[in-house]
Amino acid sequence: MTTRHHALTTGLKAALLTTVMTVAGSAAWAQDGKTITTVVKISGIPWFDRMETGVDLYAEEHPEMTISQVGPATADSAQQLQIVQDLIARGTDALAVVPMDPGVLEGLLKRAIDRGTIVVTHEADNQVNTMANIEAFDNAEYGTALNERLAECMGQEGKWTTFVGSLGSRTHMQWVGAGEENAAKYPGMELVDPNNESFDDANGTYETAKEILRKHPDIKGFQTSAGNDVLGVGRAIEEAGLTGKVCLVGTGLPNPSAAYLDSGAITAIGFWDPQKAGMAMNEVARILLEGGELTDGMDLGVEGYESVSVTQGAGDGKLVVGNGMVIVDKDTYAERLF
Amino acid sequence: MRRDANLLVLCVLSVVLLALGGLVSDGAFLSPFNLQSMATQVPEIGLLAIGVMLAMCAGNGGIDLSGIANANMSGVAAGIVAISLFDATEAPALFTLTFALGCMIVGLLAGILNGIIISRFNITPILATLGTQMLFTGVAVVLSDGRSLTIGAPDPLYALGNGVVFGLPISFLIFVAIGIALAAVLRLTPYGMRLMLTGANPKAAVYSGFRGVRIITTTYAISGLLAGIAGIIIAARNVNVKWDYGTSYLLVAILIAVMAGVRPQGGHGRVVNVILAAVVLQLLSSLLNFIGLSNFVRDLAWGILLLCFLAVARFDLINQIAAFAPSRRLPRAAE
Repeated sequence: MTTRHHALTTGLKAALLTTVMTVAGSAAWAQDGKTITTVVKISGIPWFDRMETGVDLYAEEHPEMTISQVGPATADSAQQLQIVQDLIARGTDALAVVPMDPGVLEGLLKRAIDRGTIVVTHEADNQVNTMANIEAFDNAEYGTALNERLAECMGQEGKWTTFVGSLGSRTHMQWVGAGEENAAKYPGMELVDPNNESFDDANGTYETAKEILRKHPDIKGFQTSAGNDVLGVGRAIEEAGLTGKVCLVGTGLPNPSAAYLDSGAITAIGFWDPQKAGMAMNEVARILLEGGELTDGMDLGVEGYESVSVTQGAGDGKLVVGNGMVIVDKDTYAERLF
Repeated sequence: MRRDANLLVLCVLSVVLLALGGLVSDGAFLSPFNLQSMATQVPEIGLLAIGVMLAMCAGNGGIDLSGIANANMSGVAAGIVAISLFDATEAPALFTLTFALGCMIVGLLAGILNGIIISRFNITPILATLGTQMLFTGVAVVLSDGRSLTIGAPDPLYALGNGVVFGLPISFLIFVAIGIALAAVLRLTPYGMRLMLTGANPKAAVYSGFRGVRIITTTYAISGLLAGIAGIIIAARNVNVKWDYGTSYLLVAILIAVMAGVRPQGGHGRVVNVILAAVVLQLLSSLLNFIGLSNFVRDLAWGILLLCFLAVARFDLINQIAAFAPSRRLPRAAE
């Protein structure tokens, strides 16, 4: 039995292989137009869904190319690594990656570049193996802008404090650092208990904010960094009945913050629009695909990236910084609801 | 001899997936570059799955949840030691050797710890390894300060993760060699036989005078060693190691073991099936990435695949089908 059975499977295998070989020989993969694929940290969350709208928009504007966005279903750098590796093997011409963890992707991206794949990254200004890393804005300018908005609300005086996701989060520390520098202009502003760690947890932030409100009943302002911080602090301000008396400016997204913005518990939120960042990444990828140069002050044709600064990045690649910062309040957030 | 249903299904599936991939991608799926690329992705998860298989074979609810945490900890710890001792650019060979040995030693020690907790203190494996998983992750976080640690790409190490010999990735060859060696150990040595018998009937094993503590400890130690080797391959591929790499591997490794027909109650499991199951899973995920489907579809496909394999095992489908043609069965002594 076993021998006959083997003959059967062998026959089957041979037949399948022959079919495959014929097909393989007769056609080449993706002969029409170049492919640009955007790989995000994780798919199915609002931030990257918003980015996908930008990628889709860009695809509409460039029908001659195959443009799409993919991302892992779980937040794991190993899963993102697999997707990127498969895309390289598939022969994708350009990759626009938002690295989950820049370090984990270094080895693979190097091999991709060596093989001739165009590699563009976003939110990874320490990525060595990339041809261009796109940042929405200069971190120091963003921190200054947030603080300026806070100072305006506080009337340039009173006690204020800061929140960061964690002390190890480089961008958050840059934001509050720039904020502190800006506040130094105003002698009336007094920084108390700075750099509270929120770990991007709205509940934890709420507890910490309550403690701070108790410890400093005369506090006038909060500047926060991680996406959920405004929600926690906003809730604490609202429950303490201090809406309108205490100012809160921080990084946040319009949709979750809408209720607090309406009530006035959140003064203003700052962010960058992932839709525009997605389009800018694809545009840079297209320029590089066509052998173009990235020059200081060039216009990427995307709002907030009309005059980008181009400098040397962490590796051989360029660091492209736009002016895509958005600060919205009660009256303006509806224009960018996502 | 009863046919190994899982082996047969896995073989057919690999062929079908390869053919399907070739069809939908106009052959690009079967290009040497993609085959190599897929082969380099298999070893790290495959080694962890073999570890899970060994733990399952030991019976008594055996499982090793600490695999990927152990691999990351090994990479981080050995990386710190190797970096402090040698300069990767000046002494690449020594650096690689130190790093590789370090990974294996840390992995082995962590595995022995698992084994001792489970066998000496009689802690249920799922709880013990859940605990050590957190412990290993914690150690890796503390050692690396929560950041990714750059191991670098000195030549021998880089070749280990990315080089090819006769068109086959070196890491894949290592994986297969380890698989063959382990299969031989399980089949030919007294340890292998005792492991399977202990798993099949722990009580009978005790009354037969088997030294259960030693068998269990050895099993988890091997599983730990495999995790350490996975750590080497991860570092070689990615240049960097990080404590939270591959958090999704935990369940995927178990999925592979179950697909391979390893009996969760213990006493039965074949290394060749685990290797094939890892390959099938890789083919499936790469295929879905090639088509450009959402990664949520992949989870769905994996789930369906798992259920199908459970059905094949539960209802003994392959042998039932074969039973319709009894005349074709040659007379042969039962194994």
